[in-house]
Amino acid sequence: MMDSKSLIINYTHRQAGHCESGATSNLFNFYGIKMSEPMAFGIGTGIYFSYLPFIKLMFAPMMSFRNLPNTVFRRSTKYLGVDSTVIKNFSNVKDSMDALDKNLEKGIPTGVQVGVFNLTFFPPEYRQHYNMHNMVVFGKEGNLYHVSDTVMEHPQTLSYEDLVRVRWAKGAFAPKGKMYWINSMPKELDIRKGVELGVKKSVYEMTKVPFWLIGIKGMKVMAKDIKKWPKKHGNQKAAFYLGQILRMAEDYGTGGAGFRYIYGAFLKESGETFNNKQLLEAADIMGRTANKWREFTYLGARNCKNRTSQPVEDYGTLGDMMMEIAGMEEQVFKTVEKLKI
Amino acid sequence: MENSTENTDPVYKNKDYGQYRELFYTYDEQGNFQKSVGFHGTNTRVPLEQAWDLFNERIEEARLKVLAGKASPIIYYMEKILADPMGLSMMAGISLWRVKLHCMPIFFKRLSDKTLAKYAEAFNITVDQLKKME
Repeated sequence: MMDSKSLIINYTHRQAGHCESGATSNLFNFYGIKMSEPMAFGIGTGIYFSYLPFIKLMFAPMMSFRNLPNTVFRRSTKYLGVDSTVIKNFSNVKDSMDALDKNLEKGIPTGVQVGVFNLTFFPPEYRQHYNMHNMVVFGKEGNLYHVSDTVMEHPQTLSYEDLVRVRWAKGAFAPKGKMYWINSMPKELDIRKGVELGVKKSVYEMTKVPFWLIGIKGMKVMAKDIKKWPKKHGNQKAAFYLGQILRMAEDYGTGGAGFRYIYGAFLKESGETFNNKQLLEAADIMGRTANKWREFTYLGARNCKNRTSQPVEDYGTLGDMMMEIAGMEEQVFKTVEKLKI
Repeated sequence: MENSTENTDPVYKNKDYGQYRELFYTYDEQGNFQKSVGFHGTNTRVPLEQAWDLFNERIEEARLKVLAGKASPIIYYMEKILADPMGLSMMAGISLWRVKLHCMPIFFKRLSDKTLAKYAEAFNITVDQLKKME
């Protein structure tokens, strides 16, 4: 068809803290709407917390600081009234690649969900089984695809075979070739309504979900569990479990402190745009919470470094600190609970 | 394939480690959120190193087990792709209890070529490599 031709869409790559909200904001910008990463993240209700100790991810209890994959893109386009398409899964490899090629021919930059284990340009230390990574494909040159991965500083290239392998990565949350794109952008975007809806949904998800492991409640359960770890599992395992919190919060493309900085930046930016006191106040608390998170990770890292039988920092202190953080986050969502812009 | 030039060093000791700059946000005392591009700090490096140390330990343990004849090479390659039996069963499309059986040498010897090929594909190696382990 068009294999020998080179076809590159004029797409601006900008680095971001979080893969999916970065991709979403870049896509919005491609269609001429100035949308920063925090705004996309906040309107798309990326913030979340869940603690699922009975599921083991990389040999440690699973916890998540973000919403399910694709939530940010789906909700931000829905709340802002943007016409977009999400194809959840394909039946076979060829269909998925043909659909991607067709989109590129039409000049539509297309987001894809991939697994990072076989992602060739990715930093090797991050190549673990994590199937919820997002990037945007914006060009094709022969056998090479140009991709914009917002975790990286610059756009990258992937061969056809490599792209197939990562799009069809297997395991938990297998992407199955999932792809998404924006069809058209309305002339006027009602950001005000988007912010309102997004904040409302986040408040629900963080404080009101009737399940004890999700949102603030989950953080409190985790805080109590941290104190029990050394007795229950011994020091080494406790340190590894603690490390899991730190890895999830700081390492895997979160922009720092488990997305809390990004969400705070969203509250601040929207508060300034609409001159809203509630949002600005919440932003300040969120910022301080995020700093507290960072403090927690520095303390926790000292325990992880130490491999002897006695922990450096007391797990009781760390648990109390986590409890305090949970309390502060609760305050944030209480502040914006009845939001009027 | 890639396995021919194997690097036995833990990943974080490779020269590439920490050569990628990432975007971070911070909150300063004036109440502003700042963006900055930079390398990872100690609070993020240490837990990653810890994780890779554990993975490498597990791989080494599995290798010794296989050499001693207590387990089949499946275990070694499973640890090598950082999977657990559940993850491997998802990746290879073989049910969990069968995967667990195949981890024993006696059942591994009886495997058909078809099943071996399924495993080999999941591990991204050839069947010969799977049988011999290296």
